[in-house]
Amino acid sequence: MNANNLLVRNGLFLLIGLVFGFFLSRAGATDPAMISALLLFQNFHLLWVIATAVGVGAVLNLLAKYRQWHGLTSGRLISFPHKPFVRTLIPGALLFGAGWGLTGVCPGTAPAMLGEGQWFVGVILIGITLGTWLVGWIDHRWINARGPAIMPQRPGNHRG
Amino acid sequence: MTQPDLSLWSQTIEFLTTPLWPAWIAGGAIGLLAFSQRWITDQPLGCSAAFGNACARLGSQLPLFQSAAHSSATDWKLWFLVGIFLGGLVASLSSGHWAAPTDFGTFYQALMPTSTAGRVLWWLFGGVLIGLGARMAGGCTSGHTINGVAMGSPASIVASALFFAAAVGTAQLTQFLLKSTLVGG
Repeated sequence: MNANNLLVRNGLFLLIGLVFGFFLSRAGATDPAMISALLLFQNFHLLWVIATAVGVGAVLNLLAKYRQWHGLTSGRLISFPHKPFVRTLIPGALLFGAGWGLTGVCPGTAPAMLGEGQWFVGVILIGITLGTWLVGWIDHRWINARGPAIMPQRPGNHRG
Repeated sequence: MTQPDLSLWSQTIEFLTTPLWPAWIAGGAIGLLAFSQRWITDQPLGCSAAFGNACARLGSQLPLFQSAAHSSATDWKLWFLVGIFLGGLVASLSSGHWAAPTDFGTFYQALMPTSTAGRVLWWLFGGVLIGLGARMAGGCTSGHTINGVAMGSPASIVASALFFAAAVGTAQLTQFLLKSTLVGG
């Protein structure tokens, strides 16, 4: 891929991200009080947001799959790469849930919250980067000891 | 003749600048956007992998961040996060006010340490848990829940169920501890 295409691609994702961040904000997902209200079963607004998002996505995915829709820029059949069942999925999901519950922030809402003016999320973003780095470090030690463990192998996801 | 158009336009503007949308509209918009991304770019929605790219760009030589999944050809993941930041900015600017930077809601207000230093450590610790967990699980609430569950991907359904179970468990347990300490003290 040449530099020009790369620029267009990065710009396209910047734009999609902008709309996503805007929607997350309008959904109330960037408000820690809304997250805690969901987790403490006080207000199910965000549950309905997630359920509708997944429902609409599922219907469109099924339509695209069975009607064999083609991607706009790829020109090929739209792909549906499933994430693999990595060995670290269960402990990872539990750690993630604990961090989410303790802060009311997740990796997608964090940048939007910062944009909204919630400066404290800057600290959480540094934490997420540190946590990510820690996975790379553990992975490195693990490879040396017993062979690949965390390194995600996602077929069809590396076309970039 | 132009009157109805004008009122529709102003209604649209008014709706777009409303800080909180009805759940089904916001959710529907997110679902539609997630699919649009798949259709336009043939790449699934996701946020946490970008932090691996961040590690690589910050100079980490660890093999995980030097892998194809975090190569500079995938730096659109980082640009996506920059876009999300701008989206939050646009949301605040168009509503006419910034989100209160110190309003975490009564639960987090009571849960977190009161000193600034204590809170910074709290957020750093929480962030580490989020980053560690998301990369170990291979995705976060965007990649596994919004994207993966909508495809019926088994690993994503398990991961999402555990995300919610752990988050609900953590919040409920800490609230219980808070209440018993308050009553006890």
